[in-house]
Amino acid sequence: MRIIVEGLEVWYNSTQALRNVTFEVREGEMTYVIGPNGAGKSTLLKTIASIVKPKVGAIYIDGKLLSRLSPRELGKIVAYVDPQISKTIPSTVFEFLLTARYPHQNTLGFSMSHQDLEVVENVSKQLNIDHLLSRRLDQLSSGELQRVLIARALVQRPRVLLLDEPSAFLDLRYRLEILDYIKMVAESNRIVCIVAIHDLYLASLYADKVMVINNGEIVAVGTPEEVLKEDILERVYRVKISLLSINGKRVVIPLEPIERIGLR
Amino acid sequence: MATHLYKLKIKSFLASLLLLTTLLLFLFTLSLSIGPAMLDPREVFKAIFLKPFNPSVERGEVHVIAMLRLSRALAAIFCGASLALAGLVMQTITRNPLADPYIFGLSSTALTAVALGVILAPNLMVHKVYVVLVSFLGAMTGYILTLLLSKLGGGSSLAMVLAGIAIASLFSGVSHILLYIVQQVVKTPYVYMLMGSAATVLQRDLQFLAFPTMLLAVLTLAFFKPLNAYLYGDEYAKQLGFSPTLVRDLAAFVAALLTAITISFVGIVGFVGLAAPHIARFLVGSDHKFSTPITMLVGALITLLADIVVKLVSMFAGAVGELPLGVVTAVIGAPFLAYLMIKKVRE
Repeated sequence: MRIIVEGLEVWYNSTQALRNVTFEVREGEMTYVIGPNGAGKSTLLKTIASIVKPKVGAIYIDGKLLSRLSPRELGKIVAYVDPQISKTIPSTVFEFLLTARYPHQNTLGFSMSHQDLEVVENVSKQLNIDHLLSRRLDQLSSGELQRVLIARALVQRPRVLLLDEPSAFLDLRYRLEILDYIKMVAESNRIVCIVAIHDLYLASLYADKVMVINNGEIVAVGTPEEVLKEDILERVYRVKISLLSINGKRVVIPLEPIERIGLR
Repeated sequence: MATHLYKLKIKSFLASLLLLTTLLLFLFTLSLSIGPAMLDPREVFKAIFLKPFNPSVERGEVHVIAMLRLSRALAAIFCGASLALAGLVMQTITRNPLADPYIFGLSSTALTAVALGVILAPNLMVHKVYVVLVSFLGAMTGYILTLLLSKLGGGSSLAMVLAGIAIASLFSGVSHILLYIVQQVVKTPYVYMLMGSAATVLQRDLQFLAFPTMLLAVLTLAFFKPLNAYLYGDEYAKQLGFSPTLVRDLAAFVAALLTAITISFVGIVGFVGLAAPHIARFLVGSDHKFSTPITMLVGALITLLADIVVKLVSMFAGAVGELPLGVVTAVIGAPFLAYLMIKKVRE
């Protein structure tokens, strides 16, 4: 499994969100996308998930053009973890997780196979949410909901997993455990995994490849050691930083903003 | 855990199904027994349900009287079921637990259309099919108007509710005026057309009520997966391979048709569409596979019970005419909803 993105351009009405984005991701290779707010990280993931349509450019999954795939085939292959879902109509975690099996089932079929239930069971055990299954979605804490959302994507058993800010709302333990687990799943199931994240330390811990996006453009791509450098990060984030080295990993310490615009 | 939970869900579904069906059969028998000539419910039960299996039982007067009351009871059941289903579908497509056909202006526009039809072409309106059609056109127009207005107001769910209230108020006023005029044409007080009554439904028209309701129920049930996915957001439904706009349009069509059917048979009966889906979700959860049949049963029960109350009140209070059905459904349904609300908040 491999994804090739070629010359992607995305527009939201008259504002350009992505310009000339070209890259390639292989299976088992954890790719972390970093960049400031509004850089285009989510847009990139949503475009690969076919939620947003690009104006120019093409995405190939295993050599197949993404736009040629039917919505159903796409549901079997790609899962995007949306940080927001609607929970105004009360429903339980279990009901939510079951919906993720739909792409693999007959749309008109009424039965829920034993295998489907087993997938739900395994994933919810691994992410430590099996005690939450009968709770209502709107009664979960932000951290619990985040784990449920990630679990949903894993229940879908995708070949391409796109995570948008998976570390948000999670405490120290779950940040490490969940990203660790996702890395393990990505390697053992040979799936393509792209993570958009703000926490640069987590990126340095778990990324095989880091991609820096700014103003809708790819600024740098490479291993964490190659990309997490003072000059690149200072230019992109407009923050003075210092790099520490702990256990051979780079830890980025933000010191102070380079200029204080608008927040005086 | 997951397997166990799923079994539990199926169990609670079957238990609710059994309980509600039994209750419905009981109320149905009761409804046939109540009237100016009171019958023994046991005799009615024998005459209606055991007769087909046991031809030796002869057709007594109990049977004759019960059959006379049959269309009214069936009308209450099917209207309740269809209103409840319309409410469930509307709540799902707007992802708004406050939605019901009445709030979104479907009922009042449907009623306006019917009143206009009666004024403009009274001889056409003798046929129920045309009434249903005209009423459907009205309901669809109401939905589209609400949607357009809410789009102009930003498209949020709050805008949708406000737009619905605006459309509903406007057309409820218009329909009042039109129905006041219609009084001259049909020679019945207009409160009946406005607030609903199952008393006027004819047996030969029942097919236009029962079959479309059943058909739309099967259709809704067949689409339970897209509807479930739709609950969690447009982008979520898209990800699972369902087009959110297609789901919304199709479901709106179903809701409008259901509303139109009930409007043309019994008039506006509020509250069933709001309360029944909540009660069903409380019983079996939000999965449409389970909630669709349960919602319909709950709606049928509330409406049938309300109709029985209407009959009893008119017999014992001895006032002129009967109470409107919608008044009674509100009185019966609201405490239920209040109970559920308090229980949920406490949890």
